[in-house]
Amino acid sequence: MTSRTGSLLPSGGRRGDADRGSAADPDRETARSASARPHGGLAERAFRLVTGGAAWLVLAILLAVAWSMASGGWLAFRTFGFGFITSTQWDVVNGQFGALVAIYGTLMTSAIALVIAVPVSIGIALFLTEIAPVWSRGPIAVAIELLAAVPSIIYGMWGLFVFAPFMAEHVEPWVNDHLGQAPVIGPLFNGPPIGIGTLTAGIVLGIMVIPFIASVAREVFNAVPAALRESAVALGATRWERLWHVTLPYTRSAIVGAIFLGLGRALGETMAVTFVLGNAHDLTASLLMPSNSIAAAIANEFTEADTELYRSALIALAFLLFFVTFIVLSLAKLLLARVERSLGRTN
Amino acid sequence: MINLAPQVAGEPAAAPVTRETKIDIRNLDFFYGKNQALHAVNLPVPVNAVTAIIGPSGCGKSTLLRTINRIYNLYPEQRAEGEIVIDGENVLGKIDLADLRRRVGMVFQKPTPFASSIRANVAFALAYYEKLSKREMDERVEDALRQAALWDEVKDKLDQSALSLSGGQQQRLCIARTIAVRPEVVLFDEPTSALDPISTARIEELLDELRGRFTIVIVTHNMQQAARVSEKTAFFHLGELVEYDDTLRIFTNPKHQKTQDYITGRYG
Repeated sequence: MTSRTGSLLPSGGRRGDADRGSAADPDRETARSASARPHGGLAERAFRLVTGGAAWLVLAILLAVAWSMASGGWLAFRTFGFGFITSTQWDVVNGQFGALVAIYGTLMTSAIALVIAVPVSIGIALFLTEIAPVWSRGPIAVAIELLAAVPSIIYGMWGLFVFAPFMAEHVEPWVNDHLGQAPVIGPLFNGPPIGIGTLTAGIVLGIMVIPFIASVAREVFNAVPAALRESAVALGATRWERLWHVTLPYTRSAIVGAIFLGLGRALGETMAVTFVLGNAHDLTASLLMPSNSIAAAIANEFTEADTELYRSALIALAFLLFFVTFIVLSLAKLLLARVERSLGRTN
Repeated sequence: MINLAPQVAGEPAAAPVTRETKIDIRNLDFFYGKNQALHAVNLPVPVNAVTAIIGPSGCGKSTLLRTINRIYNLYPEQRAEGEIVIDGENVLGKIDLADLRRRVGMVFQKPTPFASSIRANVAFALAYYEKLSKREMDERVEDALRQAALWDEVKDKLDQSALSLSGGQQQRLCIARTIAVRPEVVLFDEPTSALDPISTARIEELLDELRGRFTIVIVTHNMQQAARVSEKTAFFHLGELVEYDDTLRIFTNPKHQKTQDYITGRYG
């Protein structure tokens, strides 16, 4: 069908069905001769080569990055084996390197960031598409997108000089008193209120990814067809019911996509986290204690890596970050594919 | 009172269709911002019959439909003046909108299944209006799907996504979803304009089966469809009701020249 329509096009574009029937024969002749034009010309092949090359280049770069990090970190991986991932010891003087603290810090700060950013972002997006007065929607949306453009070093400095003291004085004592004694989650919130630590880094990260998730989510909600909204309303749904049962299911995969975009940014964020996380290679349950993340460790220590093993350990860390990010995004894809399949969606 | 058999096309002009009025539209004006889309429309819609609204694009026929269930309320710049009286109550006044929409269902131009299972689609509104046990809910879902002539095609895959159905099936699902809450009035806004001829024929059969059980108002672009399915026909032009009469009369012996021109295809 597609190819037939395609071959009819050169002979004068689309025609009404009636015309096509009566003038079929001469028309088809033209069509055939038109489609008999050689399709293997030089320009055609060059175009294929250039576009195809550009596409394959991406894959080649991805593999090259992975390979160069794997080979750079090979020395560390060979020296410490699986222990590189499971050990919490990061002893520069004695040449002992284990990445668990940094891995934990990366995942924990990102998790805190998402816990904060996801509800806030979806709330912002729903407010902007459904509730805010029409005249205010544009300006607010632009302001949010501008927030996404603020360089991360600024968030880092703000985090260190403004937010961390605020956390130390007001938030963390309260957290200590009220959540520190709670069962199960208590140990997470028990610690010295020094302002620098996993919790502060997670919150700063959360603030940083909000604009990303919110602006994508806003576009997604805007793309919900008016007919769909109207049919929910015509069935008597309230605004809340419509959003919960129609808009969110309809946009589910796109919203998960937006969240993982934010997660991708949170996992790899370096500067802001480096400022407020504290660069401590100790594993502790407390979110109030200084910790480390993969990106922060590399940023802090690349100038000090004076031995080959040290440098290799940092590159191995980078490989792990690459790997963790890759796993997270693959999991997301798998999860999405399963959701889609169980719904029997074909598109 | 409700004793008129559906008219068969080709029969000689019968006695005028007279029935109790279900929806009495009185002096209705409608505005999109500053643009007036309907001018002083007076239209009594008979109970449990099919009333067709025809007219060229932009004549206000969909607008009229969207006024009856007040879906236009979604858009702050749109407003209606006048009265639409359903069972003695002016629905343009202060009323419970959710209740109005339970009584007045609507099926749209394009099928709009929700991104959930077939069962959940049909149960969507039921869950809001009635507290039903799991078994009662299943019965109501089956009942609605049977009425919409979809049950046999979907009974084995109620938990699959509604989006996996074909366009015609999706539209019948939307009809099932609408009649599941047992409305009194069902509004159809060009329900077959996005469908192929076979699906269109099925929807028209379905309309014929629903006749007598619901008060149906159908907006259509397709004059044959209006002639086939309806007992009453209203012809709109530029936001005004030009002529309203028994369908047979409109299509065989219209009083107005404009109606005559439109049904003979001189414009539209």
